[in-house]
Amino acid sequence: MSPEKLAGPPQEFPGPLGGGRREATSGGAYLHTVEGIARVVRIDGDTAWFEPEQTTSCGHCASASSCGAGTSGIGTVANRITARRFALDNNANGLTVGERVVVGVAERALIRAALTAYGLPLLTALTAGGIAESAWGSDLATMAAMAGGLLGGLLLARLVARRLSARGELAPHFLRRARPGETCGGSGA
Amino acid sequence: MKDFVLMMIGAALVNNVILARFLGLCSFMGVTTRIDTAAGMGLATTFVITVSSMADWAVQHWLLDAFGLGYLRTVTFILVIASAVQFTELTIKKVSPALFQMLGIYLPLITTNCAVLGVALLLVEGHMSFLGATLFGFASALGYSLVMVIFAGLRERLALAEVPRLFAGPPLGFIVASLLAMAFMGFSGISTG
Repeated sequence: MSPEKLAGPPQEFPGPLGGGRREATSGGAYLHTVEGIARVVRIDGDTAWFEPEQTTSCGHCASASSCGAGTSGIGTVANRITARRFALDNNANGLTVGERVVVGVAERALIRAALTAYGLPLLTALTAGGIAESAWGSDLATMAAMAGGLLGGLLLARLVARRLSARGELAPHFLRRARPGETCGGSGA
Repeated sequence: MKDFVLMMIGAALVNNVILARFLGLCSFMGVTTRIDTAAGMGLATTFVITVSSMADWAVQHWLLDAFGLGYLRTVTFILVIASAVQFTELTIKKVSPALFQMLGIYLPLITTNCAVLGVALLLVEGHMSFLGATLFGFASALGYSLVMVIFAGLRERLALAEVPRLFAGPPLGFIVASLLAMAFMGFSGISTG
């Protein structure tokens, strides 16, 4: 039975590895969310600006101290985190600078975003390449068609992303304040 | 057409990048704790592998082969892959800042993913046409993504299971990975059957 179909009182289940959770909506339908911890870095009137606290996509390993992932500079994680700042409405939450909060996006939104950003351009590029190969059979023509298809796919992805963004599907949602010592890999004290 | 389909099945399932060629094991163990992150990483890697396959084929045929610079292949391909990752990152950032905020965290890990370089070197050895090389890269990446998502699903289940303390975590992950590799060996019958 699909988790989305289950009915019952609103509940919360701990995520399989601490990072993710399955939360119940008021209607009893389960919504999978991907959680992360962010820190409030600025308050502009009713808007709070956040920086994600996640350090690396691999979640560290024994070589973390020597791989340079935590150092600052162009292309490093510290630099990317600054580029990934986002804003949320602070009217109801009353957050202050320095506070740590748990934010989440729907799991389905993450998959949809990845399909839009990566899947769509690839699909158009491969389709254009296949058509060009069958029409002309030349590597140069196929390459030009694939480059054109990739470009077209990226423009199409831009339109789809705008639509998703307008519907608020790509924006993270404030879930709760983080507990002291809580990390994105699991709960703290 | 039939040749392309068979080549793609072979690249994705029979000679799977992770389970048959043992490439990309760092991300295989590191990013498969949840299905959503595994799928995001898989799609990002698929994009980068396909784009870098296109670029690597062009560099190999019109630069390295043309000027007899084959000994620079590995270094050149590393440069091409790093450029492809940067291109992807800049493009996604430009196309949609919201998408970049959501997916940007996966991209740095791809630069050091040996599966990307491995696929590039394999397609050169295959002496394929441009479309063949691109489809080979795409299919290899799809196989990589498939295994990532399957393994993430298994690990999500295992995290809820009661196991002896000695086997909890990575040890059980390695055992499951070996069983998955044995299961994928069953696909090798396709090539001879």
